[in-house]
Parts: sequence; C-alpha cells; structure tokens
Amino acid sequence: MSVELKIVCFEDIFQYESGEKSRFSDEYRQLSAVILLDKQDMASLGVKDGDKVLVENEISKIVVAAKTTDDEPHAGLAFMINSVWSNQLLRDDLCNASVPRFKGITARVAPSQEEVTQISEIVQRLRA
Amino acid sequence: MTTCTGCSLLCEDIELVLKTGAISEAKNLCRKGQGHFQALFTERTKPMIDGKEVTLDQAIAKAAEILKNARTPLLYGWSNSTLEAQTVGINLAKKIGAFIDDTSSFCEGLLMERILNGKIPTCTLDDVRNFADTSVFWGTDPSNSHPRHLSRFSYYPRGEKRQKSYEEERTCVVVDVRKSATAHLCSNYYFRVPPDGDAEFLESILTVLDGKIPKTGDKKRLIELGTILKKTEFGVIFPGPGMIYSMQDKMDLFEELVARLNEITTFKVIPMVGHYNMRGFNQLMLGQTGFINSVSFRGGAAGAATTHGPEQGVALAAKSSDAALIIGSDPLSALPFGTARALAHIPLIAIDPRRSLTTDAAQVVIPSALSGLEAGGTALRMDGTRISFEPITESERLSDEQILTRIMEAI
Amino acid sequence: MVGAMEIYMLLPKTNCKKCGLPTCMAFAVGLLGREKKIDECPPLIEEKKYEAKLKKLHEVMAPLENASETGLIIHPEKCFGCGNCVVACPVNVAAEPTRCAVGLGPEGDKVILRVQDGVVLANNLKECRRFGPNKILCNACTATCPSKAIEFV
Repeated sequence: MSVELKIVCFEDIFQYESGEKSRFSDEYRQLSAVILLDKQDMASLGVKDGDKVLVENEISKIVVAAKTTDDEPHAGLAFMINSVWSNQLLRDDLCNASVPRFKGITARVAPSQEEVTQISEIVQRLRA
Repeated sequence: MTTCTGCSLLCEDIELVLKTGAISEAKNLCRKGQGHFQALFTERTKPMIDGKEVTLDQAIAKAAEILKNARTPLLYGWSNSTLEAQTVGINLAKKIGAFIDDTSSFCEGLLMERILNGKIPTCTLDDVRNFADTSVFWGTDPSNSHPRHLSRFSYYPRGEKRQKSYEEERTCVVVDVRKSATAHLCSNYYFRVPPDGDAEFLESILTVLDGKIPKTGDKKRLIELGTILKKTEFGVIFPGPGMIYSMQDKMDLFEELVARLNEITTFKVIPMVGHYNMRGFNQLMLGQTGFINSVSFRGGAAGAATTHGPEQGVALAAKSSDAALIIGSDPLSALPFGTARALAHIPLIAIDPRRSLTTDAAQVVIPSALSGLEAGGTALRMDGTRISFEPITESERLSDEQILTRIMEAI
Repeated sequence: MVGAMEIYMLLPKTNCKKCGLPTCMAFAVGLLGREKKIDECPPLIEEKKYEAKLKKLHEVMAPLENASETGLIIHPEKCFGCGNCVVACPVNVAAEPTRCAVGLGPEGDKVILRVQDGVVLANNLKECRRFGPNKILCNACTATCPSKAIEFV
C-alpha cells in the first residue's frame, strides 16, 4: 500500500532551536524526521502516529515517522519541516527563474518496518 | 545590550549574562535567538585538516593553498557574516577569480533583486510600526521564523499613527498553504492557497481590485480581501519563501500587483529574509558588480569581466568547481541532495563557529567567533536598516573578517 | 483544561452542604475558581468509598494548583518567546510606554509579562486586570499567543 503525495516544507521554531544546538542529536532527528499527513492519507496507508513510513522519489529515499496534522483536510498534500531529511528528496534542477523547486517535492509514501534514517547514513550517501 | 544575529530582525534589546559554560540569563531573547546563542557552548569547531586537529595557522595556510591551486573555486555562504567580512570575501573572490554566491540564490534573491533595483517599493520596519494598518504575510510564518516580527513591528506594537494598534487599527492577512501559527493569530483573514496556487490567487486579487468577480477561489472572501486592501492607508506585504518558490518565473505578476495597489493607496514590500545579513551581501554585490548574487570573477582581478547567471549560482557552480570555501552556512544540510552531494565531493574549507554536516565533510575547518557575542560588526536588517554591534565577550577565536584577511594575505 | 462538570462528577453529589455551599455543583465551581479547596468537602476526605474519586480529583486539579491568583498558567515548553503578550498586555504598556508599548522588551520590574531565557515569565500578578474586586476578563496575552502557551483557568 502506498500513496503519491506532494510535500511542502516549512519552518518550526522548536526544531530550528534544536538544530542550532546540534545537528547530530537524537532530539534533532526526532523533531526533523517526521512527515505530517492528512487523516485520510494516514488511513489509506494504514499507519498511526509514530509509525515509520518510507518516503521515496527519483532523487532519494528516507524513512521518517508519520504524524497526523490537526490542520483542515489536505489529502494528497503532506508537510515536512525543512531539514537535511526533507532536502534528500529535493530536486536541484532549476526552473526558468533559476531557483530550485523547494516546495515542489513529489514522493511515494508507504509503511515501513525500518528505523528512521540516521544522519550518519545521509552523510555516507552524500559522500558516496 | 547585545544584538541577536539569530535572524534578520537583528533585535538590539537583548540583555545577556554569561557565565562559564552557559548563558546564565537572557532577557528579551526569543526561543530562536536562545538556540542560536546556545550554540556558543555546544559543538564548537576546532582547527582541523583532514579530520586531525591542527593549529589555526596551519589551517589558514592549508586553506590558502587549496584556494590558490584551485582552477574554479567557489566561495559560498555569506548571509551569516558581517558586511566587513563580506567585503573582504568579495575582494578575495576577485583576487582568485572565484565564483561567489550566497543563500539568496536559493531563496529570496528573486524578490530582493527587484527591491534593491527599485522596481518594487519598500520601507523600513519602523515605518511599519509607525504607519502600517495592513500587513500581509504571504508564504511565511514569522511566528516560527522571525518570532518577534509581529510584536516589534507588524501587528502588536503601538506606533506614531497607530496608537490603538492591533485592537482597532491594524489588520493582518495570512496567505499560506498551511494553517501556520501566524495564520492562527490572523484566522479571520487567513487565505489558504493550494501548492503552486499563488499566481492564480494573485490574479484573483487583481480581478477584484478592478471591481470584477474572480473566476476561481472563494469569491466572497476574495472580494472581502479586495475591500481590506483598497481601504488600507499604509499597507505592507511580507513575502516569504513559500510565495517566492511558488511564483518563481512569474515574479513580474507580483510586481504588477504591487504597482496596481499603489495606484489605489500606499503599499510597500519587505522580503522575509532569513539569515541575519543576507541583504547586506546582496547590497554589497549589487554595488560592486551590478548583480546581487551568483557572480564569477574568473579571469582574475584587474577589472576583468564579471559574469552572472544560473551557471554562477551555487546549484550549478558546485558541480563545476574544484574547491569551495563555505562560510557561516551548512549547505550539506540545507541544500538539495544533488548540490550537497556535489559539494561533498570537492575539497571544502569550512569557516564556522560550530560543528555541522559541512564542517564534518570539510578538508579544512577554521573555527570562527560567533557574531553578536564574540565579534562585532555591521549588518543590514531585512528592511535594509544598518545595525552595528559590539562583542560582549572576549574570544580567542578570530572573526570571519580576520580569518578571510589572513587567508587572502597568504595567497 | 478541566471543567466544572468534570470536577462535579468526582464529588459525592449528595448536596450535604457541609462545605458551606448549597450544592456539590456550586462546590465544583468554587474549586475551579480556586475559592474552595478539596479538603473543605468532609465526606470526600473522610469516607473510604470516595477514595478513588478523591485521588482522581487531586490529579485533575493538579494543573490548577500551579495557576496564579488570576488563573494564569504558563506552559514554557510551548512558548516561542515572541513577546506578543509582553507588547499586548495593557499593564505592560502602561508601565513601559517607551519600551513594551513600542515592541521592545521591558527594562524595569513593574511589568507582568517578560521574556526570559527564550520563554515568557510572569511577575506582579496582583497588577493583572483579572485580579481583585474590580477584575475584568482581559485576554490580551492569551489572544495574541501563537502557541497556546498562556491560558486562564
């Protein structure tokens, strides 16, 4: 079971504060490696808060925790806090105006049994 | 008093008491600023070459050697450095014929270019506090990104002509894809747009301003918004990354909207710059090269032609450079996978007060003093206001400006 | 936050008047308004059959015990430190017309709300407009909070 979603990134003060103190802490990973999903998408995926999901597109893939938003319905649209995790899914080819399409992530989301992607794993991939 | 360099509001009313190993007291510092200054005590960098600790002199000598031997070096970061450091940085780029770019090429540059070239009218945040009766937050959530924006300038303070402030005289409008913390505060005038729907929303506003019925969207609410905008005496739009990424090459349309609003009343625009001195870098670059970012000085100093364009921006330059100096920025963490990966594969010199993914991957790490706390200087707030600050504590670490000067001398 | 009905359900519901009030519901409202204390209900304290209810009541009342005289509760873990409440509070504005009124942090110690170490802190609650015989239901600090870090019980 998987769903194709648009992902929009945003800024969160608690996660930012944590990242200022350390990019390598467990706290920063727990606050960053999260995807916020609509109730309906949570149900289609058969996941509940805290369950792990694999988020994958043509750029890369990551495992993060799923969380339901309390926002008004937005099925098909997911949110992630700006971080090294969300950036793994980001294209860097440019539009006509020569900026990357930060807000235009499209990815397939599916339940996963794996652990949340560690920052060390991401660093390895960047250096590979 | 201390100036907070945690975001581009550069709050100057911070009172800090420092004790060894911690900030023992911080008055008026928001949560974001608190995190920023706590960095002073966590994960500080040390001078390193290839993962081994060295002396500062050795690290600087190695940095100079790498830059000297590089054919197409890239100098990137800058938005978290003082104007003084940026000036040395631009001279260094000229001297070695480097690419130079800052975080704005990924973000606010598209709008900042129009502001600095005078195509879109702007004002200061003090004008906002004193005169503004309508603030529009578009694709931005200042409560999270610039926590004191609403309290210091745009919504809650009393100003010269706004003594009744938020209770009676100010209206805030939020346009966003999600109901952010700021949208909750302005929930009466929160307009939800779908992803990439900003251009269509903007066209609908133009339609209602012309007294016509918009084809798409909630017609009643759009007409209500049109009425608020028309009745405004002094309006300010604060576009953030969400709006700019969504508009991209349709930025002319935004220019058109601002021009149309100014036929009716007064409307200004202030970009929601993230880092504390991005605007400073853009303004310096414009003065020296005619471009706000993404420039190559290849061909050497002596008035050689500068080139500007996407090829000179970090996304492409990362792939054509053979070495990079990164200052006050963590592109390995903050930039898209492809760009971060390209940077991770070339020799990097990282100048930063604290450890990051970029310093971890760098061949040379040079620790720097934290601006505002350990180093003084000058910066431009998001509205262009010049703010000078002094360090409040002594540090053995050099400022960005001193480090860059020493690297330049060694080349 | 706990409501009067929830508290009422944990009382004996006998309307015995030993607390000095005519009904258990009135006592529940008194507890919520912090004009009454749990141990002013003798049956609840003395009779073994109410033991479970008493324990639960202490649990639901615990957050209220941290509330100040005006009913103000601050949740520092939710606070952004944005200072909206500092600037909006009418007592702050009157105390520091050249600072809080125009968006700056306070200098003196007359204010009620200030931001300290990244989060809001309350002092001088006797000055709050919700306090005393002429109290009014001012909500400047809660209405301007982006994260529900301040509330009144």
